[in-house]
Amino acid sequence: MAHIHCTDIVKSYGAHPVISGLNLDIPNHEFVVFLGPSGCGKSTMLRMIAGLEEVSGGRIEIGGTDVTDLPPGERGVAMVFQSYALYPHMSVADNITFGLRRQGVSKAEIAPRLKQVAEVLGLEQFLDRRPKNLSGGQQQRVAMARAMIKTPKVFLFDEPLSNLDAKLREKLRTEIRRMHLKLKTTTIFVTHDQLEAMTIADRIVLMRDGMIEQMGTPDEIFERPASRFVADFIGTPAMNFVTATLEAGLIARSGSIKLQLSEAEFPSLNPGQEVELGLRPARMDLCAPGSANALTGEVVLVENMGAEGQVITEVDGAEISFVTQGFRDLSIGDTVHFTIRPEHIHVFDPKTGRSLRKD
Amino acid sequence: MGKLISTTLTRALLGLLIIVALGPILWTVLGAFKELRDIVTPVPKLIFEPTLDNFATILRNPTIRDGLLHSVIVVSASVLVGAVLGIPAAHTLARHARRWGDDVQFFVLSLRFMPPVAIAIPFIVIYLDLGIYDTLFGLILVYLITTISTVIWLAVPAFERVPHDIEEAAAMEGCGPAEVFWRFSLPLAAPSLFGALVFTFVLVWNELLLALTLAAQNATLPVVAASITSLGKEVPWGVINAATVLLVLPPLVFIGLLMGLLNTMVRSGPK
Repeated sequence: MAHIHCTDIVKSYGAHPVISGLNLDIPNHEFVVFLGPSGCGKSTMLRMIAGLEEVSGGRIEIGGTDVTDLPPGERGVAMVFQSYALYPHMSVADNITFGLRRQGVSKAEIAPRLKQVAEVLGLEQFLDRRPKNLSGGQQQRVAMARAMIKTPKVFLFDEPLSNLDAKLREKLRTEIRRMHLKLKTTTIFVTHDQLEAMTIADRIVLMRDGMIEQMGTPDEIFERPASRFVADFIGTPAMNFVTATLEAGLIARSGSIKLQLSEAEFPSLNPGQEVELGLRPARMDLCAPGSANALTGEVVLVENMGAEGQVITEVDGAEISFVTQGFRDLSIGDTVHFTIRPEHIHVFDPKTGRSLRKD
Repeated sequence: MGKLISTTLTRALLGLLIIVALGPILWTVLGAFKELRDIVTPVPKLIFEPTLDNFATILRNPTIRDGLLHSVIVVSASVLVGAVLGIPAAHTLARHARRWGDDVQFFVLSLRFMPPVAIAIPFIVIYLDLGIYDTLFGLILVYLITTISTVIWLAVPAFERVPHDIEEAAAMEGCGPAEVFWRFSLPLAAPSLFGALVFTFVLVWNELLLALTLAAQNATLPVVAASITSLGKEVPWGVINAATVLLVLPPLVFIGLLMGLLNTMVRSGPK
């Protein structure tokens, strides 16, 4: 039983508020990712749940216990730091077992647990080494082992993969996900990498300026972004934005662009209304001239991404990109036609940035 | 060819500097093992029959022996108390004192700005009134100003170099602030702290002015060594040299240790 319940969390440094009135519920067993640009308060939020940072206001409950005023060691949480934070004056084995030894757990009980976590994380042959003699990936595994061996109620990860190279990051990401599927411990994982968040999370909490911008499954965040900010933050290549005016029959027009919107998704739009359209490059593809919802542009640049390519085109003087597998036949200066299905078009209020999709 | 010349010149210059720096020390050490007639010859003697008489003389001389003993007591007590009080204070300044930390650090440093002679005269009067003039306790007390402030001043950066995350990771495992300090911050900062203590030791070991003004019978070795030089025309050069060797030995050993430590720290780089 370790669901996390945060009520009206406020954090300010002096007169400068970082988080103002944040409410958050994380059910038991869930893998939640705090995602957002740097300075959005996601790490602060994590550190407050860990107990490393005091809250200026509000309450935090873990597993039904109010932990707001408890020191970090009594909250039943374990944390993995970005810098690994291993104890350099102790061997790997001592690093992993420090917490248990400190609690006075007997050696006979520690040994099998150490063996088990070392096995899970592939650390058996490193147990006698000092942390500085390990690679970054191995060090982070030690940090994870140190967190796991305590069988905490909650795992907290503070950008644990940011100091690793891309390949290792991917590998450890998968391992963390696997570990969670097996242990089912409630987990909070902080990252600024949207791809990492999408691949690893049960639910994403997307934060901006100390507020939750949107909370939902990776699919919800990707397919139904609540605001232009979310739409822009999630997905590579980044979404195209086009300001358009609505015409009768739910048609959005901007210069030569004329797009049919989905009646089911946006029933409340009126003709004459100014809107901002969001077009995901990955949701568009080449089409024959004159097809429905076709855009026509001139190729400015083709980026080879392996299986597919990003084509950057100029449409009415503005750049719009799309992704296609047929990029190899295109060259700079070509005129291309590409299309998007109405249900994949996002519509935002240009003033507030909120999505105009029906709830 | 040009490179050869420049290397030779550099080496020559380096050799000259070493001679200038070590010459007097070498001469003193040699003098300590010479008999007086070998010292006062018009032509310096490099080959001579070494004698330990000078050392025997000073170690048999109760004034010098007491001076040595007093130095050891006063210096180790003041460095020890300085460490016990200064190191935790430095950790607190480095980690917990957010608002006044800089001011306190400046105040501590400012204690080192003050020339000792400025406080020496008032201290004589105060010490006479308190009845601690010419006591080892009085000397330890006044040296504590130096040791505590120097230890704090040098230990704050040592603790600042201890990664914050490690202390937080320890806190996550349930360690309270005292335990974090004792089991993590202190061992991790230990090499730098050792350097700070050695430096502080050398500083008070060499201290002359305050010892000269605040003690008479219970003076420390620098005071005794200084007093030998004013014995008149029959200067016992050999004895003076031996006393000097005895005086510089502990600092030299410690400086050697310190240099070795600095070198290993530079080689292993910041962690």
